[in-house]
Amino acid sequence: MERDGRKMAAKQKRVLDRRKRDRKTAFIMLLPALIFLALLIAYPLGKVVHDAFSYVHLINHSLRGFAGLDNFKTIIEDEHFINDTKNTLVWTIFSVTGEYIVGMLGAVLLNQEFRGRAIFRAFVFIPWLVPIIVAGMTWDWMLNPDFGIINYLLVNLHIVKEPINFMGDVRYAMPTVIFVNIWRSFPYYMISFLAAMQSIPKDLLEAASIDGSGMFTRFFKIVLPQLKSVSLVILFIHVIWTSINFDFIWVMTEGGPNYATETLPIMIYRYSMKKFNVGAASALSTMMFVTMTILFVFYYRKRAQISNENN
Amino acid sequence: MSQKKTKTICKIVTYILLIIYSVFCVFPFLWMLISALKPKNEIRTAIPSLLIHNPTIENFKRVLIDSGFINYIKNSFVVSISATLLSMVIAIMAGYALSRYYKQKLVKTSNFMMMLSQMIPGVLLLVPLYIIMQRLHILETHLSLILAYTTFVIPLCTFMMSSFFDTIPYALEEAAEIDGSSRFATIVHVILPVSIPSLVSTGLYAFINAWNEFMFGYVLISSDRYRTLTPAIMLFKGANTVDWGGLMAASVISVLPVTVVFLFLQKYFLAGLMSGSVKG
Repeated sequence: MERDGRKMAAKQKRVLDRRKRDRKTAFIMLLPALIFLALLIAYPLGKVVHDAFSYVHLINHSLRGFAGLDNFKTIIEDEHFINDTKNTLVWTIFSVTGEYIVGMLGAVLLNQEFRGRAIFRAFVFIPWLVPIIVAGMTWDWMLNPDFGIINYLLVNLHIVKEPINFMGDVRYAMPTVIFVNIWRSFPYYMISFLAAMQSIPKDLLEAASIDGSGMFTRFFKIVLPQLKSVSLVILFIHVIWTSINFDFIWVMTEGGPNYATETLPIMIYRYSMKKFNVGAASALSTMMFVTMTILFVFYYRKRAQISNENN
Repeated sequence: MSQKKTKTICKIVTYILLIIYSVFCVFPFLWMLISALKPKNEIRTAIPSLLIHNPTIENFKRVLIDSGFINYIKNSFVVSISATLLSMVIAIMAGYALSRYYKQKLVKTSNFMMMLSQMIPGVLLLVPLYIIMQRLHILETHLSLILAYTTFVIPLCTFMMSSFFDTIPYALEEAAEIDGSSRFATIVHVILPVSIPSLVSTGLYAFINAWNEFMFGYVLISSDRYRTLTPAIMLFKGANTVDWGGLMAASVISVLPVTVVFLFLQKYFLAGLMSGSVKG
């Protein structure tokens, strides 16, 4: 009896030791990652929120102290704020929708069995590898009104009478930047959808095919519902990544012509790096961050709901 | 009979659409390369042609030597390779913890934090990061970029590694542990050798990310000596608006390393990218 008890105690101790050791190992393993995230993301984020309520100027250091809501007022009263918010929405919604459609169609095409699939898949993925600056510039060159090949083709095929100044015309600048963004970003959607499609059981589709349902019915009734959770992840991440993207618009138009393509991230840059008004830039950053957190909570709930449905 | 016919039509339509897709995706590169090899008088012409009458490497020479792009390429390599190695070590460690100790509270919290940090864009943190780098006296050095790039790829690289570790049976480690090998030795000698495909794809992701990054390079570095490739192209564009030949040559140089590596390793890379993104 007593020996059994001792044995039990020893075993318990071993389990406890093990658990302690595991906890220590996990902590050590995570430490470097946590240090990086704390130092270069969490701390700066805290600083941004703090600065949003303070007077901070990069050049004029005499401007300091608690600012209350003054910085937020500066941003909201900026004559371009409404316009920039509208641009951000247009830029995000049209980019993500376009990427989704082009990516989905590409995935459907590549999901069939045919010769040379691997080559096509590699070709179609290439735009995603290009630095944004290069994507922007190459299209800028092709769309050039004087020497660009696209304007040459458009004029010679009698689609337009005069060459179009795609990047310099207020009417065309935003659609052009969105188009180039779709060009560069859709491969990521395509590959994600393709991976999800390949995990759909083949006999499910075959059964439907035998039942006489056509290609479109099969796609909308079987394939699309199966892509619900991957679609949610991809769409959410890209709504965030697109709305806060700085590089694309900056390298193509710098927000011009005449603020036609200025989005909120460009406005943050303008306030901090051109006007040196860090307080106001931080206020705008904070507003964007709060919006994103709300979106994130919404997304997190939706995802939990979907994974519950699947189980 | 009719079903066979529909199948053939289906196939033809697929091929046609895929060819359109491929042209749409690849033509800009082709045009970039053609323009880079054209002499000035063939570039600035109202009738652009796919053929090059007098091919020249003049543009490459001008960009590489006269404009100092050799130095920018070197800087890009130094920064990207360092950031890749650093983020790999961190992601292997964190990924292992995420995969093996996912029940612990600390691990769950870290996982959530990493997901959340993916939602926080660099541009929001631009100013404080600038000030932090200034205080650490590493503004205008390679180190500032290496740290920034590492931080922003840690979450996805960790997710990619941990979802790969999930597929490695735990029995493998237990056997090594019974033999008396320590946890770290086990990871290095047992786990890593079987993880090579996912190490390749994770490393490639980190490298591409660092190589292509623009904003931090543009803001944190202002001296020629430490400038990387992407901001250099932007500045070159601003200074030489009319030199399209030079710009296209610079573009070719900047996409070449990544594209070549990708074409060789695409199978690993795409598989790894998927596992990370679906999880993240």
